[in-house]
Amino acid sequence: MQSHMKQNLWGYFFIGPFIIGFLSFTIIPIFASLYFSFTSYNLFNAPQWIGLDNFRKMFTEDPRYIHSLKITFVYVFVGVPLRLGFALIVAMLLNTASRAVGLYRTLYYLPSLIGGSVAVAIMWRNIFGDEGIVNLALMSMGIDPVRWFGDPGAALWMLIFLSVWQFGSSMLIFLAGLKSIPQSYYEAASVDGASFFQKFFTITIPMLSPVILFNAIMQTIAAFMTFVPAFIISKGTGGPLDGTLLYSLYLFKQGFEFFHMGYASAMAWVMLIIIAILTSLIFLSSKYWVHYESEGGR
Amino acid sequence: MRKLLLLFFTLFVSLLLVACNGNEATNEDGNQEEADNTNEDTSDENEAAEGDVTLRIAWWGSQPRHDYTLEVIEMYEEQNPGVVIEPEYASWDDYWQKLAPQAAANELPDIIAMDLSYLSQYAENNQLADLNPYIGNEIDVTNISDDVVSGGKVNDGIYGFNLGVNALGFHYNPDVLDEIGVGEIPEDWTWEDYQEISQQAIDQGVYFDNGFQADVFFNYYLRTKGKRLYDENGNGLGYEDDQLFVEFFSMLQEQVESGATPTPDYLAQLAGPEDDPVVKGDGVGIFQWSNQFVGLEDISGEKFKMAPMPGPNVTDGLFLKPSMFFSVSENSEAKEEAAKFIDFFVNDIEANKLILGDRGVPVSSEVKEALLDEVSSSQAEVFEYIAWVEENSTPMGPADPSGAGEIISTLDNLAEQLSYGEITPEDAAQHFRTQAESILSN
Repeated sequence: MQSHMKQNLWGYFFIGPFIIGFLSFTIIPIFASLYFSFTSYNLFNAPQWIGLDNFRKMFTEDPRYIHSLKITFVYVFVGVPLRLGFALIVAMLLNTASRAVGLYRTLYYLPSLIGGSVAVAIMWRNIFGDEGIVNLALMSMGIDPVRWFGDPGAALWMLIFLSVWQFGSSMLIFLAGLKSIPQSYYEAASVDGASFFQKFFTITIPMLSPVILFNAIMQTIAAFMTFVPAFIISKGTGGPLDGTLLYSLYLFKQGFEFFHMGYASAMAWVMLIIIAILTSLIFLSSKYWVHYESEGGR
Repeated sequence: MRKLLLLFFTLFVSLLLVACNGNEATNEDGNQEEADNTNEDTSDENEAAEGDVTLRIAWWGSQPRHDYTLEVIEMYEEQNPGVVIEPEYASWDDYWQKLAPQAAANELPDIIAMDLSYLSQYAENNQLADLNPYIGNEIDVTNISDDVVSGGKVNDGIYGFNLGVNALGFHYNPDVLDEIGVGEIPEDWTWEDYQEISQQAIDQGVYFDNGFQADVFFNYYLRTKGKRLYDENGNGLGYEDDQLFVEFFSMLQEQVESGATPTPDYLAQLAGPEDDPVVKGDGVGIFQWSNQFVGLEDISGEKFKMAPMPGPNVTDGLFLKPSMFFSVSENSEAKEEAAKFIDFFVNDIEANKLILGDRGVPVSSEVKEALLDEVSSSQAEVFEYIAWVEENSTPMGPADPSGAGEIISTLDNLAEQLSYGEITPEDAAQHFRTQAESILSN
């Protein structure tokens, strides 16, 4: 008994640093922000309890908030499917046997690593500039060039492109999923004369559906929290005309530019609730389209 | 057994937490310098050695400013053995994002670079020390005019010491002006002249300017009409007649429509200041602060000239703006020492030979005199313009109220919508009034 306890003690000792860090940098701030969300707090003075006022203000008095919520939804619901689709296509290409597959995998994963850096923002400025490669391509197709940074509608698309371009992590997960589909299924289908698309829709997609579910949930959550690209592309303004004012960016502006920490905390909690609802919707829908082999293919 | 262990562990954690809190408490009584995590240990030692003072100083800026400020600090440390100065510097955005949490934690540096738009916010929340007791004692003001000193006034205290002054003006490229058939910008030009010359620029296919920073120039315009952007107490807007808003912003909107000012989507597309039409010689000039003149010449490689703002009533409109303050934090343990450093910064001639007017035209007349031979010809032009403005301006009035940052952002947003043609000036005027008043009344 004695030695058993001693053993456990060592365990707690080693896990201690994490627990303490987790408490002080995650759990305590989470509950503090829950409290702040019901207060008016400007960082300097003590928070003042104002009940649900922050939440009421958000939905009734703040058109910028509604706008930012809207473009964030567009960003998520257009960006995530595009990104997943793109990741799946590249994963399938890489899944075909090729000697340089390792090299390609690394190359395609790279954008995900450098995605949030300032260097990307500069590169993006060149790519989407007046004489950038995108506009040159458009012009060569006879389409008028677009002022990507100046047109509020186009600027959001630039963010979506940037997010699609960073498909690396989803791609790696898809690739692992594809590799685990037994080759014999495809062989059997080929013998029966199935076309590529038939194989794709009746073997690949169902077999891959748990992986798709996982990716969809992770990417949706991540997309809602997108901050860095919007911040660096708009130079922190969310412009033009609030066209890139994603939810997190507006939250940050409220908290650290306008010193409305209470309001910003309330925004964070609303976002948490939105993400929770969406995630549970995806989970609920999953029983209609996700197939687990362990459950007999249901 | 398991429960016992858990209990033990909880005890251990709470002990640790208590220990941390206890530490903090003694910290508040004892030395404040602990906050800077880079020198937790050294500050303790410094505190122990008698007579030694450690000052933390923070400012924003770019690399050249960091470089010379560090040199000035070194110079001060050499002349004042026993004073150790720890610099903390950052870019403008990062600076304010770092300062707010430091203020919330009562751990502001001893000396803080302050901007006009944040001065009230920090002063009214009791973060800054009133400098009145030090002015005339530690800080020598014999060569500094009262107007300049009172630029840092909030309510009845001086919460920031003015480091230099700026003034608005029009910085133009004389060659481009020549091209459009105008010899010179007259010193007493008016908004009508402005629109006329703009028309000539359009006819020659160049831009006249690159737009106006909404809050700055709207305030100027209101001042020429005897009003200002904020009222004297900072509880509301300083003008009642929304027609003034409509007049000013309609004019700007027309400038964009006629092509005298580039469209906002064109401006947004520029990769950086080096692509600006004025810098590239496709525009006549820029309306901006005088401390930006030298930078404009540097980046374009062209000679520029300075003209005052369009009138009428330029004298009412123009004012000397404190370009930057040094404030002393209320939680500082060494306020006198901090004041002494500020004195050195504004009055020492050798130090100012390093600063060279980067923080605005020096406030001390003696320093200004001594610097005239040191500075470049462009900087001398700025000095000359400021001297002219001194004679042709009115006092700035109270500093911006708390919440100014949010108001500026609101106005910028509306001005952007105006130049995109998304909103009429009448609607914008009304939106601005409702939003600004709700911000200021909080």
